[in-house]
Amino acid sequence: MIIKLVRLKIQSRKSEDAINITAQVEEAVKNSGVRNGLVNILTAHTSSGLLVTEGIPCLEEDILTHLARLVPEDESYHHRRYLDYDGRLGFNADAHLKSILGGIHCMFPIENGELVRGSRQTVYFMEYDGPLERTCMVQVMGEA
Amino acid sequence: MIDFHTHPVLIREFVEKYPNYRRMAREVFQIGNNFQPLETFLLQMDVAGINRAVLLPIDCARARGDAVSSNEQVAELCSQSARFIGFSSVDPLKEGAARELEQSVRHMGLKGLKLDPALQDFQPGDTRAFSLYEAAAALRIPVLIHTGMSWAPGTALELGQPLLLEPAIRRFPGLNFILAHFAWPWVWEATALALKYPNVYLDTSCLYYDSPKEFFQFVFSKQIPTTVIERSLRNKIVFGSNYPRVEIKNMVHALNTLGLTEGFLNKVFRENPERLLAAATA
Repeated sequence: MIIKLVRLKIQSRKSEDAINITAQVEEAVKNSGVRNGLVNILTAHTSSGLLVTEGIPCLEEDILTHLARLVPEDESYHHRRYLDYDGRLGFNADAHLKSILGGIHCMFPIENGELVRGSRQTVYFMEYDGPLERTCMVQVMGEA
Repeated sequence: MIDFHTHPVLIREFVEKYPNYRRMAREVFQIGNNFQPLETFLLQMDVAGINRAVLLPIDCARARGDAVSSNEQVAELCSQSARFIGFSSVDPLKEGAARELEQSVRHMGLKGLKLDPALQDFQPGDTRAFSLYEAAAALRIPVLIHTGMSWAPGTALELGQPLLLEPAIRRFPGLNFILAHFAWPWVWEATALALKYPNVYLDTSCLYYDSPKEFFQFVFSKQIPTTVIERSLRNKIVFGSNYPRVEIKNMVHALNTLGLTEGFLNKVFRENPERLLAAATA
């Protein structure tokens, strides 16, 4: 049994963005030595997300637009107060809620050393409050 | 567009290089966000539409054991990007303060003086600080001074009262003072100082509750009528974000939603800060 954890560093460059990380995940699987098993991908942040959808720009835009419609920036959020542990105010409740709605992790099977996914399935790191350097955890588990 | 108020306290590259950097950010300045590569700072400016940012160190070694970002660190960042405008910070009660300021301006290329009476533990009207003000006036650099409430733990609220600075404002009419954070909650006192004295300016980096948009709408329309901001203070306000206590983009957006005229916003984002900095580079 092999269990390997890779921390991907992702520099987002916009306030909100859908960043295709499929190639990095596939590389982590190949480098792990796992022949048959699972890969679990998880964002390390609560104002970002992970989701799987078809990898085309129109859908990337639709997802961000729809989430913004579901979670308006100007709602009266309780989070808008001073957070003493952070030394600053919290006013990104919309980003946290988008993270919850869009999800924060995904999982794929591994077969013969390759990540198995549908032909249209693309893994996205979702930035909801950038630009920031973010960490995405990729844990590969299975038999050699 | 210029952001006149940022703190380089979360630069990842400095964490390993400067042993006290992390502790001063976490325990003295008290900020809990992740350290980020310098690139993130520049990207935060990009998404906010900010071209240049003033970097503010705080020399609080006497009162707090070390600096919250040092002059050397600020100068180092300025050498890495022409988009940064570095200010110097010197403890006014330190022996040789005036000389240290002069050296940091002449040899490190720093363009202004940053003071924080609450963190540096001094009375802004204390005549012992006057030799430093005199040096700043001779160097033709502006002084950005913390006024209003400070989030830093262990700091006295009363040292942020803007009227404490009035003796220095009167004694050095040729020295431009920028009262940071609009001196909230003493916004009327700060407004009165800016209305009365040609050498007093205000920066917008105030955010103490609610969201930037909600806070600005309260302070800049209910506490101080928007008409006063727009008509009487149009030449006396500079944009400041207080990044990274708040993202620059949120403060820019908040200011842009107040219904102020384009002419006013152009002064706040461009003309007023450029005029203040021009004297320093002349």
